[in-house]
Order: sequence, then C-alpha cells, then structure tokens
Amino acid sequence: MAKKAKKAKKASGKSSNAGGRRGRSNIQILLVVCGIALVPFSIPTLLLLFAGLLPTLVAALTDRSLARYAWICVGGLNFAGLAPALLTLWFGHHEIPYAVSQLTSLKVLLMAYGGAAVGWMLYFAAPPVVGVILQATSQRRAESMRKQMAKLQEEWGDEVATEGEEEGTEEPPTGTAVPTQRG
Amino acid sequence: MPNDKETGKADVVTLRDRFLISPASPLPDLSTPSADAFLAEDRRERGRPVFALVVKPGIPSRLPMLRTLKGQENPGLLSLIEWGVTDWPPADRKAMIIIYARPMGGRLWGDKGSNVRRVDEADIVLRIVKPAIAALKQLNSLGITHRAIRPSNMFWMSSERDRAVFGDGASAPPGLDQPSALEPVECALSQPEGRGDGTNGNDIYSFGASLAMILQGRDIAVTSAEEAIIRHKIVMGSYSALAGEARLPLSLVEILRGMLCDDVDQRWNAEALDLWLNGRRLTPLVPRIEKRAIRAFPFSGKEYWTGRELAIGIFQNWDKALVQLGDGKLELWLSRAADNKPKGELIANILAGGADNPASDKHLNDDITIAKICMILDTKAPLRYKNMSTMIDGIRWLLPMTMAKGGDVRTIASALIREMPKAWYTTREVYSPENSVLDAGFRTQKGYLDRALIGYGLERVVYELNDGVPCLSPLVVDEYVLELRDLLSALNAYAKKKGDNAGAKVIDRHIAAFIMARANFDIERMVGELGLPDPARVMIASINVLAVVQWRLGLPNVSALTSWLAQLARPAIKSYHNRARRAFLEKELPRVGRDGNLIELSRLLDSSEERGNDFRGFEEAKTMWTNSHRQMRAIEEGHEEIKEESTRTGQQVASLISVTLAFIAIAILLLKKFV
Repeated sequence: MAKKAKKAKKASGKSSNAGGRRGRSNIQILLVVCGIALVPFSIPTLLLLFAGLLPTLVAALTDRSLARYAWICVGGLNFAGLAPALLTLWFGHHEIPYAVSQLTSLKVLLMAYGGAAVGWMLYFAAPPVVGVILQATSQRRAESMRKQMAKLQEEWGDEVATEGEEEGTEEPPTGTAVPTQRG
Repeated sequence: MPNDKETGKADVVTLRDRFLISPASPLPDLSTPSADAFLAEDRRERGRPVFALVVKPGIPSRLPMLRTLKGQENPGLLSLIEWGVTDWPPADRKAMIIIYARPMGGRLWGDKGSNVRRVDEADIVLRIVKPAIAALKQLNSLGITHRAIRPSNMFWMSSERDRAVFGDGASAPPGLDQPSALEPVECALSQPEGRGDGTNGNDIYSFGASLAMILQGRDIAVTSAEEAIIRHKIVMGSYSALAGEARLPLSLVEILRGMLCDDVDQRWNAEALDLWLNGRRLTPLVPRIEKRAIRAFPFSGKEYWTGRELAIGIFQNWDKALVQLGDGKLELWLSRAADNKPKGELIANILAGGADNPASDKHLNDDITIAKICMILDTKAPLRYKNMSTMIDGIRWLLPMTMAKGGDVRTIASALIREMPKAWYTTREVYSPENSVLDAGFRTQKGYLDRALIGYGLERVVYELNDGVPCLSPLVVDEYVLELRDLLSALNAYAKKKGDNAGAKVIDRHIAAFIMARANFDIERMVGELGLPDPARVMIASINVLAVVQWRLGLPNVSALTSWLAQLARPAIKSYHNRARRAFLEKELPRVGRDGNLIELSRLLDSSEERGNDFRGFEEAKTMWTNSHRQMRAIEEGHEEIKEESTRTGQQVASLISVTLAFIAIAILLLKKFV
C-alpha cells in the first residue's frame, strides 16, 4: 500500500514539475510575443538606446573574465549618461526624427560616452584600491595571529608549538590524589 | 598497637606514662640472649617489683603471645604486665620493651651451665612441676606456645624459692635461644631461627628435658656435644639421651617418659600431665624409635642405619649427594635393608622425574630432587633445601631474621619459588586439612615472589607471613615500625634527623611492601605507580601513597616529612604545562610543606580536576597555536590569492558603484521632471 502511495506521489510530483516548466515557457513566449508586438511603437527608444549604449555592447562582447562585470560597470554609467536624452524622448516627442536629432547632438553623445568612459575607469581603478585594502587587513590579521601564538607559548610553554607533530597520541593523565570525600 | 610517643630522657625511659625504665640499671640476672633486662618502676603500683626486657635490634618479637599474655596471671608464668615500643636512648633507636613482674628468687640456673643447682626431689613436684603444669595448661587453652622453656629461663618467683615460673618467651622468635638438647629432635635439626611456633607438645617436651636436667643437676647442653645428643636421641630416644643414665624416682620417670616421648602423637599432653599431678598413674611409655636397617647405607664415607640419620647425612653433604644416590642403590637399600618398599618406590619416582625434567638449570633440579629425598627419608624432619633447614612454620621467622642480619635470603626465596612447602606437605604421612590451608598461604606468597614489582617480592613475603616483623627499611628500621599508623611518624623522624641529607627516595621496596601487607584498604594501583620509569611521576606517586595512609588512618600532620616531600616534588611541577599553574605550585609548595598535611600536598600536586584541566587546556592551546600558525603562513605565502581576490572584489565594487550611480541619476532626473 505504502509503496503504491509512494509511486503515486512520485508520479504526481513529476507531473507537477513538468507542468511548472511548461507554464514558465508559456509566459516567456507570451512576453516575447508582447515585446515583438510593441517594437513598432518603440522604435525611437530602441534607436536611441542602441546608439547610446554602444560602449556597453562593446564591453559585453570584449570582456573575457569569468565574472563578466565590465558591461555592468560600463553599462551603469553609460545608461546614466544617456538617461536625460531618453527621458526627453519619452516625455517630449517620441518620434524617430527626434530620436535621430538627439543622436546627432554632441552633448547627448558626450554624456553617454563620457559616462561609459568613467565606467571603464572605475572598472580598472577599483581592483588595485581594493587590493591595497585587503593587503593591509591581512597584515593586521597576521600580526594578531603572531601575538596570539606568543601568548599561547607564554601561557603553556614552547611545547605548545607542535606544528607538524602527530596529534592525539598522548593519553589524558588521571590524577590519583586523595579524593576529597572519604570513600 | 602501642607505639608510645613518649621520648625517653637520658636517665629514665617512660612506657605508656606508667612504667619508668632505668637504662643505667641493668639486671643481667634477668636478661635473656635476645633481650637485656633493666630495672623498672610501676608508677601506678609503687610497691610492685617489675623489670623491663629491652629486645635487641633485629629480633622480631612474638606479637600474638604479647597480646594474649598481657594481664594473664598464672602460678607458672612470669606475669607480663605491659609491652610497647618506645625510644631507647642508649641505642638511639626505638625498641620493643616488655614489662614483667620481677622474680625475687633469681634464676633456677645461669646460662651455659653456670650456677647449676640440683633441686631437692621431694620439693620438685610442688615447687616446679605443679606450677609448670598450670602454665602449660593455660598456654594450651590460650592457643599459644611458650617455646623458651629451659632451666636458665625459669625463675623462683619469691625469695623463699617456693615456686618456679617460666620466664619470657615472647621477646624472640620461638625456640631461638633454646639449646638443641631441650628441643624435640625435628626442631633441634632445624636452624634456631626456623624452629617455628610448634605446638603445646613442643613446650611439654622442653619442660620434660628441663626437668630431667634439673633432677640430675647437670646441664646436658653444656656437658655433651649438640650433634652427639641429637644422634643419641634419634638412635635411643630422647628419654634415654637426656635421663637414661640417671637414677630417678619412679614417679618422675613416668612423667618424664611421657613428656620426652619422641612421637608427638604419643607424647603426654596438658590433660595427661594434670591427671598425673592428681595422682593417676599411667604405664610409662616405651620409646618408639625408627627401625634400623639390616645393613648400613654407605654415604660420604659414613654408614647410616636409619632414614632419619641418612637424611641428616645427605643435608650435610648436599652438593655431593645426588651423585651417590642416583644409581638406584638408595631404592634398593630402602626396599631390602630398611624394609620400606613404598619409600623406595617414591624415591625411585623422584629420581626418575628429576632426570627426565628438561629444566634448563640442572643444579636447580638436583636441589629439588635432594630436598624431596630428604623429606621422604625423614617425614618428621624440617624442610631442608641447600643450606636451609627450617620447620615449615618457622619460615616466617627465619626469613625476617636472615634479612635483618643482612644474610643470604636467596635460598629461602628459591625454596618458596620452587614450591618446596608444597612438596613438604605432599610428603606427609598423614593428611591434615590444616596443611592444605597453609599450603594455599605459601602459594599466595609464591605469587608475590613471582612479581618483581615494587610492593611485591621477598619483602612482601616477610611482612605477609609475620605481622610481628617491624619495617626493615633502612629509613625507618631504628623507629621499630610495627603498624602502618606508625610509618608516617617514623618517616617524619627520619626527615627531621637527616634534614637536607635525607636523600631522594621516600618509599623503598621495604616500605612499599610493608604498606601493601599492612593496609586494609585498596592501595595497589597507587603503589604500582612507584615502579614507573618517570622519576617525577614516582615522586607524585610516593606522596599520594603516604597521603592515602594519612587520610585513611586519620593520622596527624607530619611537617618534616611533608617538607621533605615538597622539596623532592619540585621537579614534578614540570608535569603541568600551564605556566600559571606551575608558578602557583612553586609558591604554594613550601607553605603546604610547612603545614605537614600530606593530603593537601597530594591534592595540590595531583588533583584529578587540575590534571584534567591542564591536559585539556594544553590540547586546546596546541590546536589554537597550530591553526594560528597555519593561517599566518597562509597570509604570508598567499599574495597571489590576495591579487585575485582584490581583482574580483574590485570589479564587484566598481559594478556596484556604477549601477548605484545610474539609479541615482535616473531618480534625480525623474524627480526634476515631475516635481
């Protein structure tokens, strides 16, 4: 009986897992369809984003590190530089000619690409700074360890420094002094 | 146990606050070979004449006899009033002192034939025999033996010389000072130290022999050679040897024959003596002596006619014996000439067994074989082994006497290890359940001998066999330590006397064995630690052992001993790892030493809790040190890791800043737009 119930439970579990995956993929399909449906209405935005976020695209394509933080770092400030133009487009004339005029504006491009440049600078400058901080912290920890070892040696003698010796071979001593209670 | 703390002054020694003994007033007339007599005074009964016997060093006294006879009054015994151990300034040591009522009529005879006086036959029964029989009866009823009955140890109690009494028999081992002539043949054949407690029959025999000599007015022990008397006794019987040539009153011949009968089963006992005293006349016993062989057995240039004589001859020629006995002549002689086929077969078996035994030590095998042959040839004889000849119950006296004299105890040890007592018991003609009990006791002693550890060995056997033996350790031998409760004060006295030169060993093999034998509580594990190879651990074990003795027996503080131990225990402080604990112990040890409390010293140095804490703390400290060391090395050697980590973390931080700035910028722009 129990086995049957277990099997039934397993089967129902499997079916619910499959159902979940299917549900998720349906939502994704729905989102993609909606997104494609919206493209004709957001061409000016896409145009501005594509041209303004080119440094981010380049960063994403050229970053070969495992963590791939470069595009985030560059992208954040790149997007911040592009944000005024984007807001003007959304809250002004959301039209292709206006978007093109924005793209040809030196100020807009300077801000977007300048932001990206700052992002790159941040990306390259942060690791050495963090390295210096980490190095200092480690030195302080090592000093603390040295002090602790010295204190242990002072409290327990040099025998306590048994680096490399086999541990746990000594029998614990049993004092055989006169007991405190008369037996 | 009376072990008085009173210290004797130069002119007088006090025992139990009651008896004043004057070392300046010796009484040679009352001395014995083992104890010197001195004038004494009873503070409680001023008019009562008493004297003190001070036992010589190295002679163990008979404690059961002292305990039993104290306070007993008997017309035939010198009244034992008190006994105890106290300081004896003339010898600068403690001594066993026995207080007796002082006989006013002097000794019957002097030692070694001096002042030999014949007592009138008419008075002898009333003045000597009657009180003697009363004494023998009482000794028998008390279950003890006197074993020192001889004319020179008999005294006239009053100046009128109307009553003779037996003198001291408790100061020395049984029969030690007896001339061979006054001992039954088997005891005469053993070493004086090993004559054993024996039975009431031994006392009756000795009194019979003494009476025979008193009646004749001659000291046979002086006038005849010892060997000749023994031989005469074996060949013709004791009565013939001691009184055969004398013309004695017929009434006394009967009692003498009864008392001097060589067969202990036939010998008169205390009841028979009492019957005789009350007028019942019995037929005089005819001596039953061993049947002589039809032809002699030649051995070592002499001819022997009886098994007993031959056993003596073999014992006297021990090293050359087996060569002359091993060719089957002895079995043939026993079977044909001595008409004793069973003995012949037994000896044949022993000789065959000895030859077949593949033991590595041939000499050892030979000794065992010869000893067994002697036992079979003379079943009543003492246990003979190499140069040792002792009654089976005399081993307990022979061993401490030999040890105290610094003699060779190897023969005795060898006899016990080779189970000679067992062989002796198995060759008895008559089975006795008592023998099985005694044999089991000797097996236990063999067990102690087999273990060479401290607390065991021959020293343990000495104290286990005889509770009257004081501790023979050189440290306390002068303090005459009879009981465990006296040990600490003795060691304290030693520490006080020696000061800084007390040495480095507090518990030697003798003291350890003495503690093990006398303690009625479990101390084996602690004493066992005295055998550890680490001197510091041994010192702590010594302190623990003595502390347990103090704790268990509720003994007072012993400051000199504790200070000595505290001084010796300094290296043991290093057994602790914790430096703070070490410093604390260094500071506390002198104070605890001065206090004299061994229990506190033991707890200070070897508390189970402190030891555990120290061990655990040290183990934790080791682990912490190792971890810290590893981490430190990792930091020092791990620069590459830091570089990688800093790159990764830096990029993360940069990304975070970038995204945060983006959000802030958008938020500001939106706010500007709508506000």
